[in-house]
Amino acid sequence: MTAEAAAPGRAPLRLRVPFGPRGPLGLLVDPMTWRTAPYLILASVTGFVWFVVLAVTVPVSLVLFGVWVGLPLLVLTMLLWRAGAMLERRLLRLALGVAIPDPYRPRPISGVMSQLGWLFRDPATWKDLGYLLLLFPLGMVEAGVTVVLWICSAGLLGQPILVLLGVPTSITERLVIDTIPESLPWVLVGALLTIVTLYVVRAMGWLHGLLAVALLGAGDEERVTHLRASRARGVDAAEAERRRIERDLHDGAQQRLLAVVLDLGRARSKFDSDPEEARELLTQAHAGTKAAITELRDLARGIYPAILTDRGLDAALSALAARAPVRVEVTVEITTRPPAAVESIAYFIVAEALTNMAKHSAATQASVRVAREDERVVVEVRDDGVGGALARPGGGLAGLADRAATIDGALIIRSPEGGPTLIRAELPYEW
Amino acid sequence: MVTGRWAEGAGAVRVVIAEDSVLLREGLIRLLADGGIETVAAAGDGPGLVDAVREHEPDLAVVDVRMPPSHTDEGLKAALAARSIRPGLPVLVLSQYVEERYATELIGRGAAAVGYLLKERVADVGEFLDAVRRVAAGGTVIDPEVVEQLLSRRRRGHPLDALTSRESEVLGLMAQGRSNNAVAARLNVTEGAVEKHISSIFGKLGLDPAPDDHRRVLAVLAYLGRV
Repeated sequence: MTAEAAAPGRAPLRLRVPFGPRGPLGLLVDPMTWRTAPYLILASVTGFVWFVVLAVTVPVSLVLFGVWVGLPLLVLTMLLWRAGAMLERRLLRLALGVAIPDPYRPRPISGVMSQLGWLFRDPATWKDLGYLLLLFPLGMVEAGVTVVLWICSAGLLGQPILVLLGVPTSITERLVIDTIPESLPWVLVGALLTIVTLYVVRAMGWLHGLLAVALLGAGDEERVTHLRASRARGVDAAEAERRRIERDLHDGAQQRLLAVVLDLGRARSKFDSDPEEARELLTQAHAGTKAAITELRDLARGIYPAILTDRGLDAALSALAARAPVRVEVTVEITTRPPAAVESIAYFIVAEALTNMAKHSAATQASVRVAREDERVVVEVRDDGVGGALARPGGGLAGLADRAATIDGALIIRSPEGGPTLIRAELPYEW
Repeated sequence: MVTGRWAEGAGAVRVVIAEDSVLLREGLIRLLADGGIETVAAAGDGPGLVDAVREHEPDLAVVDVRMPPSHTDEGLKAALAARSIRPGLPVLVLSQYVEERYATELIGRGAAAVGYLLKERVADVGEFLDAVRRVAAGGTVIDPEVVEQLLSRRRRGHPLDALTSRESEVLGLMAQGRSNNAVAARLNVTEGAVEKHISSIFGKLGLDPAPDDHRRVLAVLAYLGRV
């Protein structure tokens, strides 16, 4: 968890220093700066490793292509570099805060040729290769600049200490710093160079991030295809939901009310001839009406809980937890309310997760957590049950994943056989 | 009490019910029993209805449109299937929604002894039992709302526009399957006046005046359904 979330109500340090978060002091205390610098240095190492690995495996596979081992070797190499690119995306997210979702097309279920096509025809595969090869020269430059700048800055700032230690510094043959007063102006130069270094490091990180988004991220075309598919599934999910509501109404409250009206009709016709039975029918109709009211209330809440509109996620999720058959701990750590669409999807993800838990998991306890992480609302539902939860196509969880996708959110299900289950949704805060 | 072809020989009307909601099925059985109509079998789905009709040879089948497994128009299909096994079997179809298309499909297969009512009509016990008996006797009963849908489904310059408002009323009641007598009673006019309206309607719509009550109804419905 980031420092921002650890101290709720108090702004992070970089926002409270003079000159603002983009000023020199702001950059100095921004944890991002101190994650960027090591990343840039590391980039030269990973770039070198990938260059060596690819420089060996790709030519070897191509040379062996005539023999039958060439193709499998090439496929393995491609999978390897895709794995490398995936690792790099995680690393970029940690170090530079650049979130790049994996852009790959969904893998076909069967067929060797279609699987090969999936690997070879996906532009993402080749863009991954480009990035990894580019990482070597780029990493070298970035690491070199970073290291030189930091060493010079530190060296100049440390002049008085060097003088005290008796190690004079020669800038040129005639310019030698060996007294404290002489060293002091150089400290000033060092401070200025540090500021330059901070900006240069952040700028390199930013540019590297841009390049990574361009090469490791989905192109416009893929993004459009992906969005179109998820939107279509979202629409389908909404349609399925309406059908379910109609079905519930038809089989539930409508039938009950029909039975009530039937009882009442019979009661009316028996009022004079058989008052005893008429009374019994009225009692029955009364009970039926109450049952219909309960059913309608449950259904209405299932369509959209009024409390969610009125009081937000905390209240709505607490009410949901209270109706669950096991103890559910609810923590909501967001201060401002996200847009209604986001709240609603978050709510229904929790509702579905808890329903599934009650039905299948045999869990004894569960927890729900809603928190803000950067620009996202993160919803997590955990239980200690038997696991095995899946987003089957057409199922409730898959439908919610599609609904989340329509607002650029994502649903992750971790539920190994034997448990425990974690269902995590990441939704945008702004929509 | 009216007795129909299928009721002849048997003392009371014998009915087979197909309805998937247990609550309503039980209610219907008691309601019919109140009116002296015996339920000989009750099914919860389409195939069950067909089997029951084959086994019990009832005077009437009362069928819910929407039943498992498809939960769409299972009941309607089963009713048509039952009629193909026993041609002329009176069928009263109950539906939660008014769909004139269902009604025209039922009537389109040609025939008398057909009823199509909204489920909520069971609330008026007397009228409902009357409808059951009329269908069992070979008559036609169409829900007023269906008729309204049929009548409202017309375009500009339609022959129906030529009818006076009283004639429209008469046509509506006639399309529900009511006899001249019943129409006259409902509108507080004499039977002769009704007959005059009817021949005027038939003239304006270009239909052959048929002497038989229910064949006349079918002609009207077919006419309305065609438009």
